[in-house]
Amino acid sequence: MSEEVKNWQKLTIVGKLFHKMGLALLKTTAGQLTALFFRAFWSLFHSESRSFKTDTRNIILQTFFTGVEIFPILFVVAALFGSVVIIEVITLTGKMGFSDVVGTLIVVVVIRELGPILTAFLIAGRSGSSLTTYVGGMVIDSEVDALASMGIDPIRYLVMPGLIGGMIATFMMTILFSATAIFCGFGLTKALILASGNIINIQLTWDYLSTELIKAISLNDFIIVIVKPVVFGAIITCNACYQALNIPRDIRQVPKATSRSVIRSFLYVVLSDVAISLFYLLDYYNELSKLI
Amino acid sequence: MIIEPHDEVFRMENVHLSYNGLVGTAFSKPRALSFFEDQEKDSNELITEASLMLKRGETICIGGPSGQGKSALLRVIAGLARPTQGRLYYFGEFLPPERLTALEVAKRQVGFVFQNGALISNLRVRDNIALPLRYHKIGNQAEIDERINMAMDLMRVRSHADLFPHMLSAGIQKRVAIARSWAMDPKLLLMDEPTAGLDNYNRRNILPLIDNMRMLFKTSIIIVTHDLLIAKELNCNICFLHNKKLTEPGSFDYWAQSNTEISRELFRDMRNSPESPSIARISG
Repeated sequence: MSEEVKNWQKLTIVGKLFHKMGLALLKTTAGQLTALFFRAFWSLFHSESRSFKTDTRNIILQTFFTGVEIFPILFVVAALFGSVVIIEVITLTGKMGFSDVVGTLIVVVVIRELGPILTAFLIAGRSGSSLTTYVGGMVIDSEVDALASMGIDPIRYLVMPGLIGGMIATFMMTILFSATAIFCGFGLTKALILASGNIINIQLTWDYLSTELIKAISLNDFIIVIVKPVVFGAIITCNACYQALNIPRDIRQVPKATSRSVIRSFLYVVLSDVAISLFYLLDYYNELSKLI
Repeated sequence: MIIEPHDEVFRMENVHLSYNGLVGTAFSKPRALSFFEDQEKDSNELITEASLMLKRGETICIGGPSGQGKSALLRVIAGLARPTQGRLYYFGEFLPPERLTALEVAKRQVGFVFQNGALISNLRVRDNIALPLRYHKIGNQAEIDERINMAMDLMRVRSHADLFPHMLSAGIQKRVAIARSWAMDPKLLLMDEPTAGLDNYNRRNILPLIDNMRMLFKTSIIIVTHDLLIAKELNCNICFLHNKKLTEPGSFDYWAQSNTEISRELFRDMRNSPESPSIARISG
């Protein structure tokens, strides 16, 4: 093997340069995560063993596992978060005389930024960690090796349903989070106002809030609401499976990999959030230059 | 002895393996990475020379004390670990290193029974056996059911069909694992310590089952074991991993009688025990 001339050694200088760049990229965690994402996604179409019924069932099960079971906690977090944002925004803008930006602020905070991020954190903390433990346990017990030795691609059997299910679930949960934050947040604030005899002195009606929100929301927000959760879901599930599949056969590595999975998911989610938000800045800059 | 080309099931030539090839699973990283990585030839090699040839219907045991890399060698054969050097042929076809993966090896009807059974823990026994059949779409539902039932009958685990792996004893788990491999109709079966952790009763149960497979279905079997009496009971050859090298195969009696270092180390008890049939034969 070593004495033979390998194919890549026959490449031209440019070819070798690309070969080396590719290898350098694949050696990084980001490169391997991206590769895992594409391998998992590609296996959905590529494998000769595709079966619409089984795939759909696995994906629905994973979606249910990732999304639906987290809903009670997500509901409470979203409702409380929504009411806090509404109260703070309305009191602050009222004091400073910027009442016309209430809708914009709520849209930015709830729909555009913190809604998707908090949902992603909740999903990374619950479903990402359990996916790492589940796959990691299979690695330790040689179940992943057993799958491969039966000709079953572990990427397809384990990672693909997790990835697609995770993406769908994060998307659905983000929409639910934003909706809950606004509707239940409004309801909770109203209840608070009634209970306290409007001690915080807020004039809040649904007409006012909905008009402000509709005025503030733009097409870009709808695009972001789709793009962000799908990217976050892919990052969380890919990272969870990547950390799990990297475990050497040592049971003590499972809890380490799980915590690594959660913490890194947080980091990658925020980093990708910044990257996506750059498009907003670009958009804002274009608008600004048009005005000037 | 002349061997017809179609008779050859497996051959490996001059296989070397280092500890690096064994770390972790191969699935998290892109295959290109491990293939192009420069593997320096270090002194940290687990196996420095292993060559083996297996014919159709032949059974061979790989023995030796623990820690010599027997299971690692089996992982290499199954494509789960990458050798640093060497050539592997499956049914006469050479698998180059870039294609030597577990999935490629499994495509060539090579089954693997793990030491712990490695049953998928969230599937019942029946579904565990059905999993590869359904994945590879081998026949329709009725045919798959028939094959599952046959496999369960052969390994006598039908009464446990609806239980989960954690409800089963180690012996039954192992039998289910063999049934799962058998259901895929393997031409070459790799078994890692089939009798480890089993009591005498279960051990006596499992050996005829392996023998059945060999006799009825002409399956070639490679068994990795430290239980050398298996080789005697199955009447097959043994080779040993000794000093990082794989020896030539020889029968149980040959090893028991020979005056090599391996025989002195591993067959000491049997050579000294007056009840031992081998020693009885040696002493005439």
